[in-house]
Amino acid sequence: MTGYLVAILTFVSLAVLLGFALNLQWGQAGMINFGLAGFYGVGAYTAAILSKQGADGFTATVAAIAMTAGLSAVVSLATLKLREDYLAITTLAFSELVRLVLTNETWLTGGANGIRDIPRPLIGIVGGEGYELFFLLLCLVLVAGTYLILERIIRSPFGRALRAVREDDIVAATLGKNVLALRVKAFAIGGAVVGLAGALHAYYFTYIDPGEFAGFVTVYAFMAVIVGGKGSNRGLLLGACTVMILLEGTRFLKDFVPFFSAQQAASLRLMMIGAGLVLILIFRPDGISSEYRLSIRKSARSELNS
Amino acid sequence: MTQALLNGVVSGLLIALPAIALSLTYGILNFANFSVGAMITAGAYLAYIANASFGAPIMLAAPIAAVVLALIAIAIQHGVYRQIRNADHVTLLVASMGVAFVLENVTRFFYGADVRTLDVPVARPLLWNGLRLNHEQLTIAVVALSAMVVVGFILKRTRLGRAMRAISDDPDLAEVRGIRRARTVDWTWALSGVLTALAGVLIALDGVVDPTIGMNYLVSIFAAAVIGGIGNPFGAVAGALIIGLVEETSALAVSTTYRQGISFVVLVLVLLIRPQGLLGGARVRR
Repeated sequence: MTGYLVAILTFVSLAVLLGFALNLQWGQAGMINFGLAGFYGVGAYTAAILSKQGADGFTATVAAIAMTAGLSAVVSLATLKLREDYLAITTLAFSELVRLVLTNETWLTGGANGIRDIPRPLIGIVGGEGYELFFLLLCLVLVAGTYLILERIIRSPFGRALRAVREDDIVAATLGKNVLALRVKAFAIGGAVVGLAGALHAYYFTYIDPGEFAGFVTVYAFMAVIVGGKGSNRGLLLGACTVMILLEGTRFLKDFVPFFSAQQAASLRLMMIGAGLVLILIFRPDGISSEYRLSIRKSARSELNS
Repeated sequence: MTQALLNGVVSGLLIALPAIALSLTYGILNFANFSVGAMITAGAYLAYIANASFGAPIMLAAPIAAVVLALIAIAIQHGVYRQIRNADHVTLLVASMGVAFVLENVTRFFYGADVRTLDVPVARPLLWNGLRLNHEQLTIAVVALSAMVVVGFILKRTRLGRAMRAISDDPDLAEVRGIRRARTVDWTWALSGVLTALAGVLIALDGVVDPTIGMNYLVSIFAAAVIGGIGNPFGAVAGALIIGLVEETSALAVSTTYRQGISFVVLVLVLLIRPQGLLGGARVRR
């Protein structure tokens, strides 16, 4: 049971990291990333391939972060002249491309068989016994660190400029903000967080294959963000837990309803996630918690939220 | 080479149907419908149900699938998009992703991931001057062209089409002039359902039915719509032909597994160089 709990909490931490990234990219900067799964895969594969080559965990993780951040910056250039819809299309297409590369470039990625036996960082020191617990603590520390950094960014003038760009890029540009640079930076920072999550994913499972980085990852992350309240990192903690409970809860569904096959249970779960996403957007579009606003009167907060 | 061009035109005509559907809903509702791929899948399965489970010949199964999907599309409009119509277009976009997820997994729930085929007679390909044309390709070309003619007629010659174009241009002005927006939107979704269902049937005819067929075309469809100037159904046809030709001719040089990759590259190039689309006029950004 403890082992199960540790595993669940590790999953939640990974989901929270992905949510953080979306919260910055979408929540703060208004840039939709439908290719989250692809970037996540890039992070995981970069860390895995480098670790297999003998790089230590820290170096491989930093490389994964740099790689994902760099690619995010490049992809976000598609917003050069355009509104957000196009970024959604471009990122989605990017993640499809990533999936194709992961599946077909067998020499690099092992193809559909994936990469197995990825070395875990620091296992020599920690030992196999309590490694899961150690890894969870590592994840929690990283989540806390990322949270602090992101909150700092959100409350900085840079964060304010991002929100200005989100609300109206033309006004922001008129006031002398470099809209493109702001967008690229926001997307790259988000990408860095996704890369970190990807690397952790690879180390935790020690096995990755292209199927793990399909669209459902993106939808889970969106769901966590929307449940928690778009733009709110604190709400996200709650959102990620809700999504995980929903996912894990429905996993037991097939024990109660024996006539479902495993495949049916899996598709039912995905169906519920999709339906849940839509229902929240209809009935509770603001989520549980609202985003940070610099406000003088706390009571006026609800009116300020547009 | 000529063979690749021929194949390209046929596959372009196929992509054109959902690309038109995407452009129609984009023009009128102002959001990119990401569930267009899942709608294709749903259409293919509806035809499969009518064809393989109820024994309807494909000539009957295809229209049944089209009508049922049109009704489903209207139901989704009322159940989902209408409920959040005051939200920004980004929210609608995310909602359409959720809808796509539900549609795709409903088919997976009932039919699993198994690959199925429609029950149609197999015929020898037509040969002409060394060019090969499958009967399926011929069907695709004929059906897609007829559907385009019908859509063109609706848009240019009927009251509904005028209403649709008016709303696409300026929704408020259209409403002031007495155009019933809700009804026009319903019809747009119906049309979109019919087009995607037909595309689904045609894809299934040429290959197989499985839960991912729609998703596999999603990038190409968006690329086509963007090239044509998204929101412009006539441009979407041209964009689809370009995408079809580029995908098929590139297969001579690049592995066919990277078809979607080619569309991605074309999409990015167009976005960077001519974001309003090859055919779209320079538009004032709002």
